[in-house]
Amino acid sequence: MRTIIQGLSLLLFSALFVLATYKLPNWLPADIYLGLDPLLGMNAVFAAREIISRALWSLVTIGATLAVGRFFCAYVCPMGASIDFLDFLFFRKKKRLGLKSETSLRRSKYFLLVIFIVAALTGLSLAFLMDPMSLLTRFYTFFIYPLALTMINLLLDVLRPVFGALGWVTLSHQHYFQSVYYMTAITLLIFGGIIVLNRFVPRFWCRYLCPLGALLSLISPLGVFKRRVSEDCNECLKCQKTCPMGAVTEDPRGTRLPECIQCRTCAKVCPQDAITFPASISLGGEYSKVDFSRRGFLYSLAGGLGVGFLAMQTPFAFKQSKHPLIRPPGAIPETEFLRTCIRCGECMKSCLTNTLQPSLWESGFSGLWTPKLEPRLAPCDQNCNVCGKVCPTQAIRSLSLEEKTHAKVGTAVLRKEMCLVWAQNKICLICDEICPYNAIVFRPVEGYRRPVVVASKCNGCGFCEQRCPVQGESAIAVVPNGEIRLKEGSYIKESKKLELEFKPDPGDDKFIIEESGFKVEEKKEKGTLPTEKPQPKKPKGFL
Amino acid sequence: MTRRKFLKAATAGVALGLVGGPSISFGKEEYDLAVISGEPVAATKKALEAMGGISRFVRKGQQVVLKPNMSFSRTPEFATTTHPLVVATVAHACIEAGAPQVLVLDHTLQRAELCLERAGIHEACKNIPKVYVLALQERKFFREIKIPQGKILERIEVVKEILDGHILINIPVAKSHSATGVSLGMKGLMGLIWDRESFHSQYNINQAIADLGTVIKPVLTILDATRALVSGGPGGPGEVMKPNLIIAGTDPVAVDSYGVSIVPWYGQNFKGRQVEHLLAAYQKGLGKIDIDQLKVFREKV
Repeated sequence: MRTIIQGLSLLLFSALFVLATYKLPNWLPADIYLGLDPLLGMNAVFAAREIISRALWSLVTIGATLAVGRFFCAYVCPMGASIDFLDFLFFRKKKRLGLKSETSLRRSKYFLLVIFIVAALTGLSLAFLMDPMSLLTRFYTFFIYPLALTMINLLLDVLRPVFGALGWVTLSHQHYFQSVYYMTAITLLIFGGIIVLNRFVPRFWCRYLCPLGALLSLISPLGVFKRRVSEDCNECLKCQKTCPMGAVTEDPRGTRLPECIQCRTCAKVCPQDAITFPASISLGGEYSKVDFSRRGFLYSLAGGLGVGFLAMQTPFAFKQSKHPLIRPPGAIPETEFLRTCIRCGECMKSCLTNTLQPSLWESGFSGLWTPKLEPRLAPCDQNCNVCGKVCPTQAIRSLSLEEKTHAKVGTAVLRKEMCLVWAQNKICLICDEICPYNAIVFRPVEGYRRPVVVASKCNGCGFCEQRCPVQGESAIAVVPNGEIRLKEGSYIKESKKLELEFKPDPGDDKFIIEESGFKVEEKKEKGTLPTEKPQPKKPKGFL
Repeated sequence: MTRRKFLKAATAGVALGLVGGPSISFGKEEYDLAVISGEPVAATKKALEAMGGISRFVRKGQQVVLKPNMSFSRTPEFATTTHPLVVATVAHACIEAGAPQVLVLDHTLQRAELCLERAGIHEACKNIPKVYVLALQERKFFREIKIPQGKILERIEVVKEILDGHILINIPVAKSHSATGVSLGMKGLMGLIWDRESFHSQYNINQAIADLGTVIKPVLTILDATRALVSGGPGGPGEVMKPNLIIAGTDPVAVDSYGVSIVPWYGQNFKGRQVEHLLAAYQKGLGKIDIDQLKVFREKV
């Protein structure tokens, strides 16, 4: 029963993950698992110092835990489900190595929790490092998802001749866009490490490390359902040995209530059927206190403050406007963004073009795994606004397409010395051809029509940078200059105020001949121009 | 017009067009071009008739590749992509002529799903059985061929389907182009090659287009000039004019050359000879460029 619920939960998590992509319907909260996570919610609210409406979903989890106990870990948590499943796969028949200092290890999750919360209070979002929901979403994004795509495409390639022979045209031309990410290996190592720890004891992660588990365990002793052992107990200690959380005390009648996740494994294995989980409103009891030393608390407090300080020790921490990162459209101002983003990677998964990539050290420790645009790899498409829709803490605001169009992420800059047209007089117009906003115009300079960026029309989407045929670095690149980062309010209004114009409508393109001329005088030293003669009166391509 | 409305109208239009009209016989006389003015479906049907009917090009059992322009994720009113009704009408005609399947192909510039969704061609062809609209963005769907008559191009990777004995019908949209002046049928064939960028960075694009024309030879070119993007092309947004014309012909240079003459581009009138890549194609012997020497069938429907 429990495994079925757990499995379904993991399935639901995976399904929502798959659905988090372009054309995500507005009504579907693909980020619900992340929203239900009270640690992430607390972390973002504390760090950002304001109420984040989507984070309020986590109150549901808090309420349910208060009422029922720490059931979340056994029934809902997709990370717990993954650990259980992989444990069953790899370690079922292995003898566990066991651990000696159980009690002190058990405390470490609380210390971590304190560190994260204190760090959040100093304005550093850190819980993402170990929050299970964030961790798992990241693992799915950077590893499972690209892997699945590779496998599917491989299968399609293998079967292609068969589909062709059968006349299944669509299938024989099917290919799924392969998303790729930085940091896939690192993410895999971290997740792999968590699973390998099960070699010591089952659910090592949940027992000793998970800060979300720690948070829930603080309130779980208040829950109604508690383990009770009847008189029939013959002290065979089977329950103690099988409990995945080590929640059964030396005396098998006792239960460490904060640790019990109500999986009821003990009841199942008890030969005497002596274990039940009745509802009772009793409070307290010998084992309901959380294992925690004052000294440890102080240390972790200091740890949190220390990390908070360390994380700010990057040269650009206080000069973020001079930092060259390009953030997704709708990302709130950088300081708030770093505080609010929980690094789940959902935006990068959902990104239609795969331009959103995780940062490594570009903005220091505090910027790990935050999303950035990589325009040389792919552009931000003007028809897609999914990243904001799936952001569980709204570090990227959910915007309508029109608003998103006005959420300028930067401005394209032309490097003339690299540009084929400027430097080599070649006929290249790819940046102009692909620009969705007509922000690149051709102006006659020295008898040739040369591309120029109109900054007030450029919203930094990066199509030009991606397409530029110059090898290596692009001759036209998006820089953050001119980006609009608003915590609230309309981007449309803001860009009107700044006299920017991102028009997807036809009819604003009168510049070509009349205004920009072709009236410029011909260059005097004609001989230096290699291939063709300047044709000041006609647009390119006409003789 | 919203996309939904547009597509509804599109479906209705196709249905109407397919039901209506007795066929008119044109006798034995052969025209170089059919220039039909009117609504997309009716004009396309008429243009096909005027060129001797689709069965002149598509025999029973022959596979057909249609090459519209659906490279940009813009809706049809931007005139950056071929009108969905024109494509659907041709596709349907091919099926009626006995083609076992019709592939509608383009190597899109933006993400395939967006182009398919926005251009409307996928939607318009959805209900025609055996018609498949595919945007190809993977190298595995292309194969390298030699260009024996190429002046600057020696080899090129092209969509496999056009090599496997399929009949190719080119259905470009009429638009301006900031490197080649106009982008009509000849330029549109670039949508069948893998490495489009090299045309800009390595070669003289105008000569390269002409070279490409020596190996990719559509049996019929149907220029959709129901709308024409006369500036801001090829990606738009730009000024859209409404010539309401369908121009069909077997000579790719002649069709394009006529297409150049129908509207002022960037506010100026040009002749086919003034378009560098058309002149290069003409010099390669790919077709006639002087439109006053062509036999043109004109009609309004």
